[in-house]
Amino acid sequence: MSTRSGADRELVIRGAHVLDPSSGLDGVMDVRISGGRVAEVGEDLHGVRELDASGLHLFPGFVDVHAHWRTPGREEEEDLESGSAAAAAGGFTGVVMMPNTDPVLDRPALVSGLVRRAERESRVRAYVAAALHAGLAGSELTEMRLLKEAGALCVSDDGPGTQNADVLRSGMLYARSAGLAVLLHCEDRSLAKGVVHDGVAAALAGVPATPASAEDAATATALVLAAETGARVHITHVSTALSAALVGFFKGRAGVTADTTPHHLTLTDDLVRTLEGLYRVNPPLRPEGDRREVIEALRDGTLDFVATDHAPHAAQRKELPLQEAAPGFLGHETAFAALYTELVLGESLPLSRLVEAMSCAPGRWVGGLGSLAVGAPADIALADLEEEWTVERESLSSRSHNSPYLGRRMRGRIVGTIVGGELVHDRMGAKLGVRT
Amino acid sequence: MSARDFISLENVGREELLEVMELARDQEEGRLGRLLEGRTVCLAFFEPSTRTAASFELAARRAGADVVSLSSGTSSISKGESLVDTVVTLDRLGMDALIIRHPAAGAASLASRHTSAAVVNAGDGCGQHPTQALLDLYALGKSLGGFEELAGRRAAIVGDILHSRVARSVIPAFGTAGIEVSLVAPATLLPREADVWRLPVLGSVDEALEWGAEVLYMLRLQKERMSGALVPSVAEYARYYGVGRRHLRPGVRVMHPGPVNRGVEIASDVVLDGSSLIPDQVSAGIAVRTAVLALATGSVERAAA
Repeated sequence: MSTRSGADRELVIRGAHVLDPSSGLDGVMDVRISGGRVAEVGEDLHGVRELDASGLHLFPGFVDVHAHWRTPGREEEEDLESGSAAAAAGGFTGVVMMPNTDPVLDRPALVSGLVRRAERESRVRAYVAAALHAGLAGSELTEMRLLKEAGALCVSDDGPGTQNADVLRSGMLYARSAGLAVLLHCEDRSLAKGVVHDGVAAALAGVPATPASAEDAATATALVLAAETGARVHITHVSTALSAALVGFFKGRAGVTADTTPHHLTLTDDLVRTLEGLYRVNPPLRPEGDRREVIEALRDGTLDFVATDHAPHAAQRKELPLQEAAPGFLGHETAFAALYTELVLGESLPLSRLVEAMSCAPGRWVGGLGSLAVGAPADIALADLEEEWTVERESLSSRSHNSPYLGRRMRGRIVGTIVGGELVHDRMGAKLGVRT
Repeated sequence: MSARDFISLENVGREELLEVMELARDQEEGRLGRLLEGRTVCLAFFEPSTRTAASFELAARRAGADVVSLSSGTSSISKGESLVDTVVTLDRLGMDALIIRHPAAGAASLASRHTSAAVVNAGDGCGQHPTQALLDLYALGKSLGGFEELAGRRAAIVGDILHSRVARSVIPAFGTAGIEVSLVAPATLLPREADVWRLPVLGSVDEALEWGAEVLYMLRLQKERMSGALVPSVAEYARYYGVGRRHLRPGVRVMHPGPVNRGVEIASDVVLDGSSLIPDQVSAGIAVRTAVLALATGSVERAAA
């Protein structure tokens, strides 16, 4: 994130409903920011620069541990500027970039180069997940200790996964000794031959299908190895009922955390009946039964948090028959609104749990984020929970338009995002008042 | 089926089926003439086909249409041009109907969003093959004495249902015509959620006959699936899922969308037996595809839009 003028100045945000489960804050109050950090939270605070946030909700900035900003290599689909603009528009103040770039982030120089570019070009805090194995090929370990020195936050083989259990076990052991968490996309490729969930929609549509066991078998393997090796393992985008249950079983037996995505929480495989390439994603959209179990696992904390798997694709990679399209959805800009609309309003998920799952828990996982405690980085999302809006391609900040929510009506919208005390996304109009 | 496209037979009503059947009969009896004169029909085949392409082309030409043929061997389709780009180009050249075959389910539906021409799906991956199911209904109806005679009959669809676009069109089409349908296949060749069709699943052709099947609709087993992980051997498959002379009895008709693996789905001496409707299916193709093109291009008024 670039150093900006103004970051050191004081700012008082007045009159918002502050909600931060990590600090026990829940009520209308004012927040004073100084030196880029939270200086004071209380009533009737004033300063030279004031932001009138009355009627809005104020949360710790969201943190997304799973994003693809396509830099380096596919900047026509997304780059650090557009990816971070999309993140900021969605209230995300911290993002972890996955290593499946071109070239793959498997060497220290590549990681340090990207870290430096992100400091200059990203509007939000951007972290790097480096490859666990060279070329994401699942055979040779990367130089994890050097990667960590170069600035890598964690390691992952991302989409290809690590298909050999023995190799994965070594990777976990080495990552533990390097002090790096391992982020895992769990998918057994010997079972994953299709492009949609093997269910009713696949039967009717005649599209090559992948059984849920492709995710479940790989998740079980990863959890068993995590328990044995003692590595810090994070299972990303859990999408099935059984995988969520497996994570629950291993909580307390292994150092395991897990996330699921906004799309697996809000959409089902009914959408693939349209056969549109837009709806291809990996893991695939699941039936309603899985969706319900995943929601419950998020509600009770079995799944620790939400990550978007923000995956921009150019139109020519999505405007194809389903089985030929690239898998992946945009995620940053619609995550909060989709989850607020479908889960908080639709399923009675407490708003505080949603904030915990989008801010506090992933913030703790990254380290030092997701809290409005005094002294914490002043990373903030401001939301208007009353605003109704329709997701339209023209309004997206991403360079790509592959959102599964295009045309959907949503309630609740991020109207302002602050990183280190500075407004990096602003839909509030002229609400920043300067007192004389 | 939308107003002009023939993409899927799911949710197609009885009236629409009847309309195609009646037009096909008119064609066969020489009452349609050169109905497509002045129309341009384009065949865009993104995967190889002999019988379907020939059948469509003859149907279009005999009815007087101008026909443009593109195939994956002779056009930009083989140069990596995308489906959408090809369709947009064809659209600008002007055509009344686009007949499309493609290896991916959903291709015809995607194409229809990029052209004002009527799109006729000539087979998309494992998705749909609507004209095949329509000609099957026509051939079967003809052998039984008319479309109305189909209601209440029992048909077993036998074989590789999982990978069959023909099955995905035949199942709803037969159902709409009032035919009771059962499925006959090992679990490896059925979709995991085959229950969605709410049809009985039987274990062999013998069981299908016990169930009362008058029609044995045999699906082609692709060579790569003939033995190995999906089917243990051709011999075992043929024993349980193939039709032999011993299965033939009065009133039982054997159908197959072709080409037949002789000795696998159907014993060699049964293919051209009197109980086989396979030759009738092939010849029904011209009449039914003429009817479909006439309806798609608006050359005759459609009763049900």
